[in-house]
Amino acid sequence: MYVTYMSTPKSSYFTTASVITGSLFEIRHSISQHFQLEENNEQLQEENIELRKSSSLFLYNSSFSTLHTQDSIYAQQYDYIAGTIINSTTTKRNNFFTLNVGEIQGVEKGMGVFSSNGVVGIIHNTSPHYSVVKSVLTKNINIDVLLTDVGAHGMLKWDGEDPRIGKVTGISNDIAIPIGSKLITRGGSGIFPKGIDVGFVKAIKPIEGEASWHIDLEFTESYATLENIYIVKNLFLNEFNNIQN
Amino acid sequence: MPQLQIYFLRLLLFVFLQAFIFNQLEISPLIHIMVVPLYIFLLPFDRSVISLLFIALILGIGVDAASNTFGLHTSALLLFAYLRPFVFKFFSPRDGYDPLKSPSIFDMGNRWFISSFSVLLIIHHSWFFILEAFSFNEAWLVLQKSILSVGISFVVCVILQTIFIKRT
Repeated sequence: MYVTYMSTPKSSYFTTASVITGSLFEIRHSISQHFQLEENNEQLQEENIELRKSSSLFLYNSSFSTLHTQDSIYAQQYDYIAGTIINSTTTKRNNFFTLNVGEIQGVEKGMGVFSSNGVVGIIHNTSPHYSVVKSVLTKNINIDVLLTDVGAHGMLKWDGEDPRIGKVTGISNDIAIPIGSKLITRGGSGIFPKGIDVGFVKAIKPIEGEASWHIDLEFTESYATLENIYIVKNLFLNEFNNIQN
Repeated sequence: MPQLQIYFLRLLLFVFLQAFIFNQLEISPLIHIMVVPLYIFLLPFDRSVISLLFIALILGIGVDAASNTFGLHTSALLLFAYLRPFVFKFFSPRDGYDPLKSPSIFDMGNRWFISSFSVLLIIHHSWFFILEAFSFNEAWLVLQKSILSVGISFVVCVILQTIFIKRT
């Protein structure tokens, strides 16, 4: 519920980030989390293997000259916070996910949320112990996405009909788009790093009277069974916003 | 147990049912079961509009807090509560309502319940889905959603009464 007072921005009260409903949903989650335990473990294991493969401990460094300078070449831009979804819906018009991490863990409004399979949403509201994510399955999510095959970019939308299918608008229809080409985040608003999976192009239709494609995409993440997520904090966000103004 | 406490416990029960059972039942994007209007409907006949609106406000905030809908349920329930006296007046029996009876399907009969509750439920659900979509592009989706959800919510509301209300 939105409450506006004085000239400060809208603050939302009475959401599932509040203590009473948050803790009730946590109790519910503590029961239901065991139903998907095996599947989630396998998924995390796979991801661990991938990460181990790319970790410097398991790689043979062939260029000794760059070994000592690695830290000054790569400054850390993104910070990650791991969390678990304790309540979610996927069939409502606007779907919000409640997480079991909050301000104490460093979650702030406006941070991006993704999982090992794809983009999830943006933090909408926080309390000390819980936070609420505005998922990609909402009306005005507007995440910038990039079509990897052709390099065009557009906005991610959802029309409320199928939680597996998303829409992309704003891609000019003079660009030929192959079906099945991959969509990733563009990182244009500084919320997400570039390159998080979003989905694959499923169908393209021309919009009558408009010079852009209507693109259906199939999400890489199945939101109905999603449980483990990462919250991403851009450490350069202030700098990014300052230079854009 | 005094009447007031029964109604208070029933309010908690309805918020719980809506938030933890019917909001979690994800059958299809076209089906959104809402049972909370039944609580407003079952309040005694002699309630004034002001007290109905007040109860609807409390119930709505409770449901909104548990389902991240930011006031949608509250607004739809307030409309439901405001229109209840008008609809009751329209469908009133020839010699008025007996204040000892409750507006349940057992006390008032199937025909009265089906006509008055379905009118109010259609208004409630359409209002909810129209405000939720808030765009003409989704008119067809809103229509589909309203028709399917009203039908299923109605059946669920009848079942809830047969489970929880004592037949007289």
